[in-house]
Amino acid sequence: MSAASVRAEAKRLLALSLEGGAVSSDRVGAVLAALAKSRPAHALRPLLRAYLTNIRRELTRGEARIEHAGPLAAADAEAIAAHFAKHLGRPVRPVTRRNDALLAGFRVRVGDDVTDVSAASRLAALAKSLS
Amino acid sequence: MTFLSALLAAEPAQAAAHAAPAAHGAAEAHGPVGEIIQLFGSFGVDGPHLLVQLVNFSILAFILYRFAVKPALGQMEERNRLIEKGLADAQAATQRLAEAQQASDAKLNAAADEAARILAEARNSAKAAVEAAKAEASAAQAEVVAKAKAAIEADRVKMLAEVRGEVSRLVVETAAKVLAENLDDATRGRLNEAAVKQLAR
Repeated sequence: MSAASVRAEAKRLLALSLEGGAVSSDRVGAVLAALAKSRPAHALRPLLRAYLTNIRRELTRGEARIEHAGPLAAADAEAIAAHFAKHLGRPVRPVTRRNDALLAGFRVRVGDDVTDVSAASRLAALAKSLS
Repeated sequence: MTFLSALLAAEPAQAAAHAAPAAHGAAEAHGPVGEIIQLFGSFGVDGPHLLVQLVNFSILAFILYRFAVKPALGQMEERNRLIEKGLADAQAATQRLAEAQQASDAKLNAAADEAARILAEARNSAKAAVEAAKAEASAAQAEVVAKAKAAIEADRVKMLAEVRGEVSRLVVETAAKVLAENLDDATRGRLNEAAVKQLAR
C-alpha cells in the first residue's frame, strides 16, 4: 500500500471508531479485531501506526488539558470543558494538571488552541509591554 | 759669367770703338735733338748701353713681377679677401649676436610673463584648494558631530530601553515572587473560580 492509501484507510478507520463525535473504545476494539482477521501482520504495521496517530490526535482534540495553579474544583473543570465543547461544537472532556508556576488562574489547551488566563501570562504580557 | 756681366764687360770696348763715329754723328747732328743727345752722352748715357739696361730692367722687372710681385699681390689679395671675409663674418656675428640678444631678451620677457602667470595661477589654485579643504573639513566636522549626536541619541535610547526592560523584568519577577509567596490555595481557588466565570462570559 502506498503512503497516501494508508492515510486514507487510517482516516476511514478513524471515522468508524467515532461514536457521537467521540472516540469509542468499543468501536476501536471492533476495528482492531476486524483488521487482525482480514490482513496479515506485516501488512498491518503501517496502517496501524497511521490509525494510532489519528486516534491520538482525535483524543487530543476531544480533551481540554487544563493546567491550573492552586485547587480547581471538578465542577469548574467541567464548566471549562463545556465552554470549549460549546465553542468547538464537539464533546470535550477535561484533563487537569496542577502547575503552581502559573501563580493563579489556568491555561487550557484543546487540540492546537491554547487559552491562557493565568497570572503568570498576564505578568509576562505586562513585562513585554513595558520593555 | 752671366749674360749681363758679359755684356757689361764688352761695353767699354764697344764704347771705345764707337766713340769716334758717335762724336762724328753728334757732330753731324745738329739742332736741339743733337744737343740733347750730346748732353746725355756727356753724362755717360749712350744708346746701346741704355738699350742693354732697358733689356736688363725688363727682364728683372718680369722676373720680379712673375716670382715676387705677382705672388705677393696674390697673397695680399687673399689676405685682403680673408680680412674682408673676417670683417663680414664679424659683422654678421655681431648682427647675429644682437639678434640672439633680442631673441634672448624676448624669451626672457616671455618666460617672466609665463612665470608670473603660472605663479598667479598657482596662488589662485592654492587659495581655492585651501578654501575647498576648509569647506570639506567643515562638512566632515559637521558630519562627525551629527554622527556622534546620532550615536549618543541611539545609545541613550538603547540604554533607556535596556533600563526600562530591566526595571520591568525586575518588577515582574518581584511581583511573581511576591504572588508566589503570598498566594495560598484558598486565594488561588477563588481566583480560579473568578477566571472560570470570566471565561464563561
